[in-house]
Amino acid sequence: MISTGNDIVALDLIDINRTKQVRFYTQILSSSEQRLYQQLICPQLSFELYLWLLWSAKESAYKYLKRLTPELVFSPTQIIIQDLKFPGSQKEDINTVLWQTTAGDVFYNGTIVHLSTTLYFRSKISASWIATVVNHQESFQNIYWGVKSIRENSAESQSVEARSFLIDKLRPYFNDLHIKKSPVGYPVIFNNGNELNIPVSIAHHGNYVSYSFVLDQAELISD
Amino acid sequence: MDRTTILTELKKVIAPYTEDKTMLDGITEDTDLIKDLKINSANLVDIIIDAESQYNIEIDFDSAEKMYLIGNCIDIISDKVNQSA
Repeated sequence: MISTGNDIVALDLIDINRTKQVRFYTQILSSSEQRLYQQLICPQLSFELYLWLLWSAKESAYKYLKRLTPELVFSPTQIIIQDLKFPGSQKEDINTVLWQTTAGDVFYNGTIVHLSTTLYFRSKISASWIATVVNHQESFQNIYWGVKSIRENSAESQSVEARSFLIDKLRPYFNDLHIKKSPVGYPVIFNNGNELNIPVSIAHHGNYVSYSFVLDQAELISD
Repeated sequence: MDRTTILTELKKVIAPYTEDKTMLDGITEDTDLIKDLKINSANLVDIIIDAESQYNIEIDFDSAEKMYLIGNCIDIISDKVNQSA
């Protein structure tokens, strides 16, 4: 069974001083991830950006895994980022609509391990947000992923905007889409009342919303 | 410290992280911090750290991962407060 998971962190909502407190970051970073930061040679990646980059990767992985293992509980230090590569070190094989970015963007990427499962992530750090999407393969060929800003950041508005953003991106392929929440809490998408075999994920934080989905257009045509 | 007292103080800890003050006023032990109070998951660690300061306790990783339901939060805080008493 395939799945998807994405996350977004609005940087204006991050408390930088708190992020640097040991009690805070040790709730999120494993000891190996704390060591990994010491080994990185990347002056543009401050500790707070590193922490929230890894958080977004962990949250994305959790969403991916929760669909496959409904009883899973989010424990950030148990979802471990094993390596982190910097922009410029991977192929342009992902279908992205990243607001506030320029063409030819490249991503932070790396490997995530949870128990016996390995996942791969792509992340983008802009001036305003950090966004991540995960996949079970190193290739992100059939992954669609987008970020945009919204005006109103109430919980209700975030949810409505994120759902509508996702539906807009799937509308070229389907005509009557709506989203429901599974009993576990992840979104499920329906077309003409029938559940689609397309895993979707939505995220929001502050004035930003994002989505991801997996769509093999070749399979769509053969159907 | 009884469960009602912990719940009253816990509301103050949670308040900065939820915009739904009506829902916060009516929380029960079954209330889910993310699904019901619409707290962003990125703030759950803030709540754990604030609860540690509020009750002068230390919440370990195993306990922290259970703090998504109000009832679980009260169980853990009650347990840690009694341990340190």
